[in-house]
Amino acid sequence: MAAAIETKKLTKSYKSKAHGMVDVVSQLDLHVEEGEIFGFLGPNGAGKTTTIKMLLSIIEPSAGEGYVLGKELGDFDVHKIISYVPERPYYYEYMTGMEILKFYGSLFGITDTARMDMLLEKVNLHRDKTKTISQFSKGMQQRIGLAQALINDPKLLFLDEPTGGLDPIAHREIRDLILGFREEGRTVFISSHELSEVELICDRVAIINHGVIARQGKLTELLKGGRVELSVTGVQRGFFEAMKLNDSNIHETASGLLFDVPEEADINSIIDGVRAHKGAITGVVPRKKRLEDLFVETVNAKNQGDNRI
Amino acid sequence: MKPIIAIAKATVGEAIRRRVLLIMLFIATILLFVAPLLGVLSQRSEQTVLTGFVLGIVQLSSAVIAITLTVYMLPNEVERRTIYTILSKPVQRYQFLLGKYLGAIAALGLMMGLMSCVTLVEFGIIQHNWGKGIELLQGIGMFFVQMSLLASVAMCLSTFIAPLVNFFLTGGIYLIGTLGYAFFDSFNKNPNAPGFSKALAWFVSTILPNFASYNVQNKLINPDSVIVDPVQYHINAVIYGVVYITIMLIGGMLIFDRREV
Repeated sequence: MAAAIETKKLTKSYKSKAHGMVDVVSQLDLHVEEGEIFGFLGPNGAGKTTTIKMLLSIIEPSAGEGYVLGKELGDFDVHKIISYVPERPYYYEYMTGMEILKFYGSLFGITDTARMDMLLEKVNLHRDKTKTISQFSKGMQQRIGLAQALINDPKLLFLDEPTGGLDPIAHREIRDLILGFREEGRTVFISSHELSEVELICDRVAIINHGVIARQGKLTELLKGGRVELSVTGVQRGFFEAMKLNDSNIHETASGLLFDVPEEADINSIIDGVRAHKGAITGVVPRKKRLEDLFVETVNAKNQGDNRI
Repeated sequence: MKPIIAIAKATVGEAIRRRVLLIMLFIATILLFVAPLLGVLSQRSEQTVLTGFVLGIVQLSSAVIAITLTVYMLPNEVERRTIYTILSKPVQRYQFLLGKYLGAIAALGLMMGLMSCVTLVEFGIIQHNWGKGIELLQGIGMFFVQMSLLASVAMCLSTFIAPLVNFFLTGGIYLIGTLGYAFFDSFNKNPNAPGFSKALAWFVSTILPNFASYNVQNKLINPDSVIVDPVQYHINAVIYGVVYITIMLIGGMLIFDRREV
């Protein structure tokens, strides 16, 4: 599959009075495939927004190279086929939803009001198109932001914290819209702190910390390494110790034992073994690895100078 | 051209809704209406005082509005992140800056237009002196060029200076360019002046814009001024303004193009 975004050793440095030249983004190798939803994660100040600004050619990289939809960073033509919704966007408050679309449309030379009506309907704002932005709720402002981003029928959308500060209903609406973008064949690049949201919608993610990519890959692969908890009665602790399973834990509970093993362990053999020794399995609970665990683990490891990841 | 027009229109829409500007405009309009009452306080000709006072109000309020309008324009766009949604579209930075500037002077034009209407009502209907009213409109027209020039200075400085500093710096430039220009110009041409002072005077009279040449209507400022060919004088003043504005905008565009936002 072709790359929608490809960066090679992309770096952005700023001069700091205290520390001289500081790399805000360092040697960034990013690969986003066409048609996928890509999550770009990182703690505050990790370099997410700086990266987006470089990809949008709003700021110039200090070193390295990058391509957006096959065009080199800085190529003005690519602006015709990409879009961006910033975090907590501000739109001219005196304008109505329709006027916002007309304004952003005019930046492309687009005057097709039927398309604008269609976009308002798509983001469920067609009934509010005469309301001014100052009368919009946060969720409505985010939706009009997505509508303006679609005005040029973009192939690639950059969304910075698209669900930040929204209520659960608005979350759901925005999430459904983003999932719809993938169905339409668009590539979506999301920078977010909402890890549960990212986990639900993203195909691949990258975690950036201190300007460096700490992890990158398919979500399904990165989230491997969950655990399974088996609640057991009728067998002694020594039975599990004899199995000598790597990375397993045994806890005593009121009703028996809790045997905690990696998800890749052969659960069926363990169950068979328990039954063969006249024991009973009272519960099997898979504990999936969450993106939040991966994120915390990655950020902490990086902060402690662990470069093994 | 379309993006420039779109940005200019949006800027006008926003500017004419800014409360602080509307308050300034409201105060100026009230002062224009009460201006005739002040004529009785002076021993000079009532008409002279009224003319000077009216022009003074229009000039001062327009200058404050022009500076307030432009110094916050770019920083606000960056702070609210509107600039990112616009620059991620096929809009060049120079188009953005030009659109903002044109929008600012269009809004300023509307506000000055309102003050012109009040002035016309004042002199034409209340004072029954339509001739004076129309003469004053020409003066306000020159002020518009002056304010456009002032806005271009503020706009250029706003590409690299913080708004508050820009406010006072542009205000200072305006004061020097309006009140001190003639002094510095004559000092510059004085062969007996000390070298450093002369260099400073040369800098001020050559580099800083000459705002004073747009005050010809105000007899309180230039009571002895005699213009041999008024038409030529006005044309020259407008050409000077347009050239200076162009230089300021090109300077602003070059700086803004390299600025990290």
